[in-house]
This record gives sequence, C-alpha cells and structure tokens, in this order.
Amino acid sequence: MIDLTNTNKDLWKEITEESGDIRNCFNCATCVAGCPAAEAESPLLIRNLVRMVLLGLEDELLEEESPWVCVTCSACEEMCPMGVHPFEVCLAIRRWQCTKDETYVPPAVTEIFAEGHTQPVGKARELRKSVSLEEVPPTIVKFPELLKKFQDMLRNTELVRENDYMFEE
Amino acid sequence: MKKYGLFLGCNMPAIRPDVERAIRLTMPKLGVELVDLPGSVCCPAFGTFPSADEIAGLSINAWNLAIAEELEVDLISECGSCYSSLRLGRDRLLRDEKKMEQVNELLMAAGKSFKGTAAVRHMIDVLYNEVGPDKINDSITKGLNGIRAVVQYPCHTLFPSETVGFDAPSGRPHMLRELVEALGAEVEGYSRELQCCGGAGGFTRRALSDATKFTKKKFDAIKKETSANLIIVSCITCLMHLDEMQKELNRESEDNNYSIPVFDYNQVLALCMGFEPKEVASISFIPRNTITEMF
Repeated sequence: MIDLTNTNKDLWKEITEESGDIRNCFNCATCVAGCPAAEAESPLLIRNLVRMVLLGLEDELLEEESPWVCVTCSACEEMCPMGVHPFEVCLAIRRWQCTKDETYVPPAVTEIFAEGHTQPVGKARELRKSVSLEEVPPTIVKFPELLKKFQDMLRNTELVRENDYMFEE
Repeated sequence: MKKYGLFLGCNMPAIRPDVERAIRLTMPKLGVELVDLPGSVCCPAFGTFPSADEIAGLSINAWNLAIAEELEVDLISECGSCYSSLRLGRDRLLRDEKKMEQVNELLMAAGKSFKGTAAVRHMIDVLYNEVGPDKINDSITKGLNGIRAVVQYPCHTLFPSETVGFDAPSGRPHMLRELVEALGAEVEGYSRELQCCGGAGGFTRRALSDATKFTKKKFDAIKKETSANLIIVSCITCLMHLDEMQKELNRESEDNNYSIPVFDYNQVLALCMGFEPKEVASISFIPRNTITEMF
C-alpha cells in the first residue's frame, strides 16, 4: 500500500515543467514495449516512472536508479501516442535526482570539464599516426586557450557552481 | 562543392581514427568538402551534462554549433549520438527564447554567440540526399560484388523523427540499404534489423549481462535468417558495440560463434575507392580480413 497523504502533488510541475504534459499518460506501456533497457534484470519501466512523478512519490523516485539504464535510443519518444515525451522525462528525472543528491552527478561531466571530451582524444597520438592522421585532432585538445574559456563558461552554470569541488582543471 | 564542418565527437578521434581517416578521404572524392571545427568539444552525450543540468548541456551544444556558424558551414556527424544531441539541442534553443538568452549569456563570456544559422546533418543524410547512390556508384573502382551485407540504422537518426528524422518513414528506413547497394553488395533484411544496437547510454555500463543478451538476439537473428558476410553501420557507437559484443560473446565458448566483421559505411566506401585497408579499416576486434583481402 502506498500512502499518498504526504506526497508532493506538485512534483510533476517541478520535474517535467518543460517537456510534454505527462498528465496525458494513461499507462498504455508503449514506451516500455519498444525499450531496450526494459529487457534488463532491473528493467527501465518509463510508465512506472511517469506514475511515480504524477503521484508525487519523491522518496521512491530518488531511490530509483533505472532512469540511468536508458540507452537514449528515443524509440519511446517516437512511439508514445500521448505526446508525453518519455525520453525527455527520463532525462528530467535524472536532472532532478542530481539536484537532490549529488552522488547521481555522472562522473563524465568532470571529464568533459577537464578535457572537453569523454575519451582521451589528445592522447591517441600513436593510433592516429598509424592511420596517417594529424596526431592531435583539431578539437579543443589542440587549443589550450579555448579550453580555458570553455571551463570559464561552465563555471557559470548551476551544476558547476553547486558542485565546484568535483571540477578540476 | 558543398562544404561541411566535420564534427568529430569523442570516440572517433580517440578510439576509431580509421573511420575519421576514411571519412576525410572519401567525402572530397564525392564533391563534399570537409572543414575542421577548431575547438569543438563533446556534443555533449546525453548521459553527461544533459542528464545533470539542462542549461549547461545546451550551452555545450551551442559552443559547438557556434563554431560552425562562425565558419558559415553546416555540421556533419557520423556518430548518431552526437548528431541527435546537437540537433535536439539546437531545436530546443530555437523554440525557447528564454533558454537561448541564458545560453548566449554563458557563451558571451567566451566571446561566442549562438544564432541557429548552422544546420546539423548526419552522414547518411548527406551521402544519400546531397551525393546520391548513383554518384557513389560512379566513384568506386571495385565493388562488393557477390558480398551479402546487413545494415544497422542508428536509432539517433530515426527517433524522434519530427526533430532528427530525414529517412522516411522513420519506421521503414531505406537510405543506408540503398547506399550499400550502390557499392555492389546485396543487402539482406532480417527480423531484428531495426533493433537498437544497445551500445549507447547506461545499459552496458549498468547492466552488462542484460545488454549482452539483448545484442545477442540481434546477432542470432542475423546468423539464422541471413548469410551476411559483414555488418555495415553509420554510427561510431553501433560500430564499436557490435564489434565488441561479438568478442564478449565469443568468450563464453571456444568456437568463436560470433565473427561477422563490422564496418562503418565510409570505411567500405574507402576500400571500394581503392584506399589502403591499413589506413581506413585497421582497428577492430573481429577480424576483417575476409573483406579487406578482396581489395
């Protein structure tokens, strides 16, 4: 039994204010039917997440790690007959979780802050040379002065301001 | 000559530069000039900033788009995720004045601004709609005659079709198949052709054995329903994942059941144009020599 007396009835506004109107969801599960991550042992069931948001179940939603299993294929976004934008909801839930609990913040954001990339683009010199390419590609790894500007820009975002200890140059 | 800013992303320049080499060699031969986007960064991938802070994610999209705007070119991406992140981000900014203002405020400090003048195109879109299968067929010196292929459409170029789509209808894409046929190969359809490779996002990182089982279904369908000699993709994630998952599956038994070579389209195109396999198709787990030795 879920006790609904003390739930946050405005949670849906807080989380999905800017995606589709999730109140249109009638639980048809089309989003689940086409979802690769719904085949996981602990499956991603977007319709359940939408229900949790609508019912205002903050504590349960904060514990829910399934949004992070999403493969981002966006098939749900295409198939949803009610314009709920399930993929956008999934990303919005992740962001809400990050603001409530910083351990949700994906470590890759600190890599992008430090290097501009999620992979060692500036360190693949030998591999790139082996296929006759410029050893350092013309991305930000080639322009340290631009990386500095990029980091300055990100320092003004809420995420970096609120969690500045995570971000190192 | 049509000109595009080549968006490299992260995986291609760092892990699969042979694909970058293939793209840089083949496109000019088709009358497509590629220019670099100096200072470009991660798109950003959906699992990074867009999952933590929307405005930060959009500002990084805008950082990349602004570089193309300054050069007055559209962007071209081979990676499906980069394509989708940039295209969805651009769309969001153009629809939402307030966010556009916030993002431009952030960019201003770096001496940049986002206007929305550069479009975002995927490799398949440009190859099919700007170049065309006929011109591609004319450009090759040796075809894939007698070879059977299956294709993997990148999900991020299909859904949501109203924003990212160019292949119509989104549920029955045909462009990659026709591009492969233009190289002389026969493309076989199969029941799981439209199943996502499973490689993007958090599925493999957080539930590896489930993700492996998911992709195994695709390989099993290919093996059972087709006699494909190779898999052709046009997305760096599909390429790396379909290659690496076969290696994972082969670990479970000794008879190397899964050994279908995987190529990016531009790699096969480069081979057909006569470029050296060691430059354009040298990096993979599953050996590719059954195909590369034809050239």
